[in-house]
Amino acid sequence: MKNPDWVDQGPPETPLPEQTFFEDPAIDRAFAVTMALATEVWVLKDRVMALEAALARSGVVDSAMLADEPDNDERAAHESQRQAFVAGLLDSLTGRQASAGAPEMES
Amino acid sequence: MDDRSFVAAQDVILDMKKYWTTRLYPALKAEYAERAAAVGESPQTRQQVTELLGSTTSYRYFAWMERHLQRMKYSGRYGLVPYHHERAADLRNTLPDMSGESRLELDPDFKNPVYYETVDVHQHPGGVWSEPTAGFVYERGARSTTPMLGARHRDLHGRLTDRAIRDGIPDRLLDMGCGFGKSTRPFYEELRDTQVDAVDLAAPCLELAAADAAATQAENVRFRQMNAYETDYDPESFDVVTSTMLLHEMPPEEIGRTFDECARVLKPGGRMVHLDFYILPDAFAEFIHYGHSQRNNEPFMVPLVEMDVKAELETRGFTNISIEPFQEADGVDVENSPFWRFPWTIIAADRP
Repeated sequence: MKNPDWVDQGPPETPLPEQTFFEDPAIDRAFAVTMALATEVWVLKDRVMALEAALARSGVVDSAMLADEPDNDERAAHESQRQAFVAGLLDSLTGRQASAGAPEMES
Repeated sequence: MDDRSFVAAQDVILDMKKYWTTRLYPALKAEYAERAAAVGESPQTRQQVTELLGSTTSYRYFAWMERHLQRMKYSGRYGLVPYHHERAADLRNTLPDMSGESRLELDPDFKNPVYYETVDVHQHPGGVWSEPTAGFVYERGARSTTPMLGARHRDLHGRLTDRAIRDGIPDRLLDMGCGFGKSTRPFYEELRDTQVDAVDLAAPCLELAAADAAATQAENVRFRQMNAYETDYDPESFDVVTSTMLLHEMPPEEIGRTFDECARVLKPGGRMVHLDFYILPDAFAEFIHYGHSQRNNEPFMVPLVEMDVKAELETRGFTNISIEPFQEADGVDVENSPFWRFPWTIIAADRP
């Protein structure tokens, strides 16, 4: 069986693009962003768990209390930050432009 | 990057790979069976499977995950390569001074084959050879190459050792393409009266292998930098020659040259035993394996499975040829695994 030609030729002058698996490569790239964020979420969750465990060991916090249902005052105190988080996450779904473009330009 | 974040990220990436192995793969296989039943006939070729499954959403995500989980593992934000590069100096300091060490022989004038430097196999940027921490990266990465084996990886190499010495304990054994010594270790640990030689192209891996052997105080092994198909051993030097996951990393002509070299260095009556990926039981397995070859940057997996290995060995005069599925761990169904697995195969033959 013969070798492929490239075996003795070395790498191409221009590096190959990343492989794609969807008809629209936008999906490949957007999913990659999602997976990178999913990894970050776990890294943060792991850090929070470690922090809580360390604080509980030193008697600073009561782990069981951290898991209690928050009362209405605490929920209200977090409301504006929560709503800002939701808006930041979902604003782009409206499809509205955030900055004014020239009227004659089509998207 | 701190150690905790690195481990947390690598763990969750591995868990995603396990999900891919045990949930996405079976789901894909089930969808394939449904589609085949709907058209009333079972595909006989890889191309027919591609027509049935290749453009489905399930397969696209399956393929994406296989490609990108490996990318994330090696070169993502918490990847093996950036993590080890940040610690390069400290890691090098963990290696003992190997000057004058009989267990390690590097060749300062060694030139890699062109193909070896062209492709970053396993999606390991720079490959296993190009920089001092490459051996550490490879070693860490290999712990999760086959996600369902986990700590039983040792089991796999032990099983190969048992298979290789089934017909007797060798006086001398050559392990080709030894990497960082994972495949070699069971030989020199379990066969204390056997002189074990191990060769590989990659100096960073050989250094790690020799350091590991030195730590165990093994006196019966030496790691040498040379090409498996072009060694400097005298003819008829070894009773047994082995390799583990080497052949599929070589172009087809070099595989042939490796068989030639085995024939040359084996004593009359000696046996070679290669563990690799070869027997694909059906068209679906072929479809999956060909896809893996592309997605994992392992371009020579395909030429190997397309090669008539039995004929290649017969041409070279080998006898008692055995090409059979290899069970990598207890309980694995080698014919019809419900989960994704490599098509492990033993390729063994005697030199008359």
